[in-house]
Amino acid sequence: MTNIDCDYLVDYLNGTLTEEENQQFEHHLKTCTECQEIIEATGQLPYLADPVEPPTDMKARILSNVFDEKVEQNNHLKDQPIDQPKALKPAMSPIPIHKKRRKENVWKPLLAAVLLMSLLGNGYAFYQLSDQTAETETAIQSIELQPNATFTGTATAAMIEEEGLLNLVVQADRLAELETSQVYQVWLIKDGKPIPAGAFSPNPNGEGASYYQLETTSDEWDTIAITLEPKTGNELPEGEIVLSSEI
Amino acid sequence: MEKSTDTSLYLRVSEQDKDALEQLYDRYEKILFSFLYKMLEDRGLAEEALQEVFIKIWRGKGVYDESKGKFSSWLFRMAQNTAIDLIRKRKKPTVPIEEASQMVSNDEPVEEQVVWQEKKTQIEMAVQHLSAEQQKMIDLFYFKGHTHETIADMCDIPLGTVKSRIRLALKKLKTSLHGMQERGAYDD
Ligand SMILES: [Zn+2]
Repeated sequence: MTNIDCDYLVDYLNGTLTEEENQQFEHHLKTCTECQEIIEATGQLPYLADPVEPPTDMKARILSNVFDEKVEQNNHLKDQPIDQPKALKPAMSPIPIHKKRRKENVWKPLLAAVLLMSLLGNGYAFYQLSDQTAETETAIQSIELQPNATFTGTATAAMIEEEGLLNLVVQADRLAELETSQVYQVWLIKDGKPIPAGAFSPNPNGEGASYYQLETTSDEWDTIAITLEPKTGNELPEGEIVLSSEI
Repeated sequence: MEKSTDTSLYLRVSEQDKDALEQLYDRYEKILFSFLYKMLEDRGLAEEALQEVFIKIWRGKGVYDESKGKFSSWLFRMAQNTAIDLIRKRKKPTVPIEEASQMVSNDEPVEEQVVWQEKKTQIEMAVQHLSAEQQKMIDLFYFKGHTHETIADMCDIPLGTVKSRIRLALKKLKTSLHGMQERGAYDD
């Protein structure tokens, strides 16, 4: 009834077989009804668990981390400070692009439901700035962002397109002071789906600027917005939109 | 809209279809999280394990095809193995968390939960057909991820027979599960 291969069953379930043994056992499995049935029965055991409610924001965290895995390798940009483009001189130095945070991303489920698709839909990649060449066609578009009813600050965005890369520079002033962890986050939005596109904190004069580059063109986006985020590194907006404009 | 089978979703995932992975995720998030929580007794660790599982699926580590049985069994096995790795790595003492009961979901019974509840009842009854020792063995082996040495110790059986005893316990589980599913078919 049981042959030597059947003895592997428990180790197979345990995941302790070598790759070769594993293959051998899976081969055996094709013909051994008893092992198949035991495996199916074992596969019911998880249903013994009592239902536990997962954290509402777990899905976005996990999926973005899963889909991030590949991008990771090509993404040299994250840890490097960024030079300003020569065409524009923001009043203050831009802050480096925020590292993508892998954990403790908290956002509101409501927004999340709508916005998650941006993570799923855009395999956006980042490139280093260093290999930019001078003699390329450059298009510059300047956009005045409109404050919401209660916000007093103003901001201008410049979109500079070069070789399929979009450089986005945002300059803002008359900004209120922020609490330490807060940050102004810039988003590019298409059909209600945002991606983070730079962030800044105001200097003591109430001015701030950000610089961001991504592989896209300006006509792939319909809106630019700035939100006041409770912390840096959010992949999806959590705070309210303080400034925005159509592109 | 026709509901895709797990296998067809999995095939799309193997072609790096993000939408398909999201659908699989939605389908299994809650049962996997609950299962992993039962094993790891820690929400953070359960999330870590769950993420690991989907990273493995996305990267094509461990390939599923129908000769390996039901997709769910395969997925659960991967989750179980991942959790065991975590348990062994962390050597974290398994302390039950008192807030656990508060986190038990009392959602409206959506279809998925009804199915779950049915399966739970079935498997619970099947487990009750096992001897106390066999029940303990399955718990130690499957949910706690103990080594054969520990199981030999805790169940007071010779180390050399642990494997075959586990197999026997699982086989009996299978038999009583089958018996119930057949009876269930007539009871309806
Ligand atoms: Zn066999």
